Amino acid sequence: MATLAPGVKTGPYHAVLDHIHPEPTSFIRKYIFSIDHKVIGYQYMITGGLFFLIAGLLAELIRTQLLSPNGAIVSAATYNQIYSMHGSAMVWMVIIPLVTGGFGNFVMPLQIGARDVAFPWLNLAAFWMFPVAGVILFSSFLWGAPDAGWTEYPPVSLQGPPGTSMWCVAIFLIGISSTLTGINFIVTIYKMRAPGMTLTRMPLFVWGQFGTAGLSFIATTALAGALLALFLERTFGVPFYDPKHGGSPVLWQHMFWFYSHPAVYIMILPVFGIISEVLPTFSRKPVFGYKMIAFSTVAIALLGFSVWAHHMFTSGMVPWLQLPFMIITMVIAVPTGIKIFSWMATLWGGSIHWTTPMLFATGFLITFTCGGLTGFFLAAVPLDYHEHGTYFVVAHLHYVLYGGSVMGLFAGIYYWWPKMTGRMYNEVLGYWHFWLTFIAFNGTFMPMHWLGLLGMPRRVALYDPQFQFWNVFATISSYVLAGSVLIFLYNFATSFRSGKIAGPNPWGARTLEWMISSPPPYYNYKKIPAVLATPYDFGNPLPYIGLEAAAGAEEATPTAASHPVPTL
Amino acid sequence: MAQRVVKPRTNLGPGFWPVTAFIIVVSAIMSYFTLTSPWPIGLIPAGEPAPATDALFRFLGAVGATIFNIVTIYTIYFGIVFAKPKNALPNAIGVQIHDAPVLEFWWTAIPTILIVVLAIYSTKIWLDIQNTQGDVLTVEAISYQYGYQFRYPRLAQPVSGEMHLPLNTPTTIHVTSRDVIHGFWIPEMRIKADMVPGLINTLRVTPTVPGRYPIICTEFCGVGHGSMKTTLVVQSQQDFSKWFAQQGGSQSSAGGGGGIPLSTGTVDAGKVLFGQKCSACHSTGPFSQKIVGPGLGQIFSDPAHPKLVNGSDPTTQNVANIVKNGFQGDIGTMPSAQMNAISNKDIANLVVYLASLSKK
Repeated sequence: MATLAPGVKTGPYHAVLDHIHPEPTSFIRKYIFSIDHKVIGYQYMITGGLFFLIAGLLAELIRTQLLSPNGAIVSAATYNQIYSMHGSAMVWMVIIPLVTGGFGNFVMPLQIGARDVAFPWLNLAAFWMFPVAGVILFSSFLWGAPDAGWTEYPPVSLQGPPGTSMWCVAIFLIGISSTLTGINFIVTIYKMRAPGMTLTRMPLFVWGQFGTAGLSFIATTALAGALLALFLERTFGVPFYDPKHGGSPVLWQHMFWFYSHPAVYIMILPVFGIISEVLPTFSRKPVFGYKMIAFSTVAIALLGFSVWAHHMFTSGMVPWLQLPFMIITMVIAVPTGIKIFSWMATLWGGSIHWTTPMLFATGFLITFTCGGLTGFFLAAVPLDYHEHGTYFVVAHLHYVLYGGSVMGLFAGIYYWWPKMTGRMYNEVLGYWHFWLTFIAFNGTFMPMHWLGLLGMPRRVALYDPQFQFWNVFATISSYVLAGSVLIFLYNFATSFRSGKIAGPNPWGARTLEWMISSPPPYYNYKKIPAVLATPYDFGNPLPYIGLEAAAGAEEATPTAASHPVPTL
Repeated sequence: MAQRVVKPRTNLGPGFWPVTAFIIVVSAIMSYFTLTSPWPIGLIPAGEPAPATDALFRFLGAVGATIFNIVTIYTIYFGIVFAKPKNALPNAIGVQIHDAPVLEFWWTAIPTILIVVLAIYSTKIWLDIQNTQGDVLTVEAISYQYGYQFRYPRLAQPVSGEMHLPLNTPTTIHVTSRDVIHGFWIPEMRIKADMVPGLINTLRVTPTVPGRYPIICTEFCGVGHGSMKTTLVVQSQQDFSKWFAQQGGSQSSAGGGGGIPLSTGTVDAGKVLFGQKCSACHSTGPFSQKIVGPGLGQIFSDPAHPKLVNGSDPTTQNVANIVKNGFQGDIGTMPSAQMNAISNKDIANLVVYLASLSKK
């Protein structure tokens, strides 16, 4: 590589990267069993998006049932299956595959200047487990779907319908997929960055993927063990969890949450990355406190392993053990706070372009902060004695997962849509989508805080009539929320046909993926560029050397000459 | 080539200090109302430990509201004042600032200090709850799909339906379950424990306000979960005694192992039962041959363990009591006979069988 700057080292590996493989020509190798990370990314998004619609429909059934204190539409048994499938599908079939498999696959290799992930065939295998797992999970409705919530605590899950065993198989499978993707991403990020892209020059989205990959890779094994044991107990009567035969129900809870609390961070760290890309781009500012955001990602990932028992304060463990779990949980607020404050500081002094992704990213700041603060109320053990197992928890987790992960996902979809499809979406419809989502989301989940505090337990098909008003309020809001998703679908369906051609860099963004044409060519980069600095210095020339940028890409990005750096 | 498009800023932005003042005022008002609210959760505190929990809720509410105001109001304010004006050049950029170590130090340090304060305060309240006085009255709550039963001392039969507690009496409630995990939540007392089969969790409450309060199941337990609830009746000592007498309780019917027909037990029946009910946790070897609990082979004649695990002498009546009532201690937890579905006749058989082992 002749074009490298002084001080940028290359290994023998980078010379190999200059070789461009020919693109496959057959339909099947190109679109079905492709090993191209971008196609696999699209596949994850389409599959995950489809599951999002199904699981969202289940959510509307839940809300419709709760229109009446006696259950408006279905029996309690059916209701239990519906909400259990809603939770399981949203966590394992929607958010985790979308943030890692979807955005991670499409964006991450582009951002580090690689041609593909480290193990493309592994990537292909990991993807194809996902639709198979999804089909197994959803087809369990035919035999009686799992009905004990997404947590499936034994012994009640041992009494569950036959579909509970299929649930074990499906989640086990998606767990393998997620572990493989984790390994793949760790190796890709560690070994395949463009020359000169040191760890502290990586885009922050890549940092988010790095933290998440580590979590998926390590934590999922605990879930796999727990699921295998549950499956064996249900199918062959091996007594792991049933106390009647010497098992321990609390064992499941420890193993389940040892995975499922880190899973919360699996679902949110990549979204932190999306926010860290969107905010500087549309503020036209370097992201504030790059290193602190990156390090706090790692801190959250590490601390996330030692807080799982805060889900179990009422389950029965040695009382003093509750205190360290409470304190470590509270400590996680420090790195999270650093991120929130750094993002606010990124807005400060910006030249803010209020596009749809920017709206979703700032909306995320507000809703996620609210979810984080209610997390404090749950972490404090004495308050958890009151709030555990109530609608307060439901409110908290939806503020974190919908107000956090899903809002961030929407920001990411709007942000990278032009890169993925080469076309723009309709900005006005985007505004409608955001404002309806923001208002209806709060209308749906805000009342659940006080419903829970006042005495409404979660996972109930019937409830006390005194709670009806706010349940109806939440249900109507949830219909508006569903309507906002329809606007989103309509927007993108029309964008495919009649959207404006986006060009390589419609946002004036500066990370590597915006330097090449939209959608990117099969080989991504004609030549692998050398990287000299973090990407976010809008006042400086682009920090890439040897990049054969697509026509029009450089034009949209500022240079030192066109943008003198203002001082305070 | 574009001209210089961003004015250098020499202050924090237009209106920064008025907005900051606004945040302080709004947060102060919200904190004031939170901290002085008699019922911050919206429910009457009907007994210990509810007041302690409410105090923590008020404190966290004030802190949470303040942080929420800071994040939300500044975010909206920055979004408005730093929005790109319509007439700005398309390539306008913002202030190119990367970090501000002093600012970052403070927004790391202040939350850290706040968390130390919160952790200490939560721990204090937690200790208050752990040390809530109990034991004047001890009640066992046992759940099943889908209901609760309550066992009172000196009451031969468990009480189904409502739970009754006398006013101002420090009460310990041991909870467990017969089948799957249930929840035991008294919202007005701000206290809850999971009822886990094979495990005994303990709550301590002192009811201070007479009334009828819901007891609600908070762990999903099956199709009947939504309607699984009962009522806690808190009543004066006289009313409670009256109710207690109606349930057949009196001072004379002794608790413990009373009513167990020890003389009628047979070794063979006990041996069969031991294999079914006990051998998962207990061997017939010496004390040290533990599975989950100690070996029971020499329970009546072990020089190394002259006392039973509960400190009593190794008489047949005392062994029968442990089987009947279960045991909880450093060595582990054994469910009661009711949990294990062992009748008094069964206990007699088991004790006779154990006695036969020790004689060898």
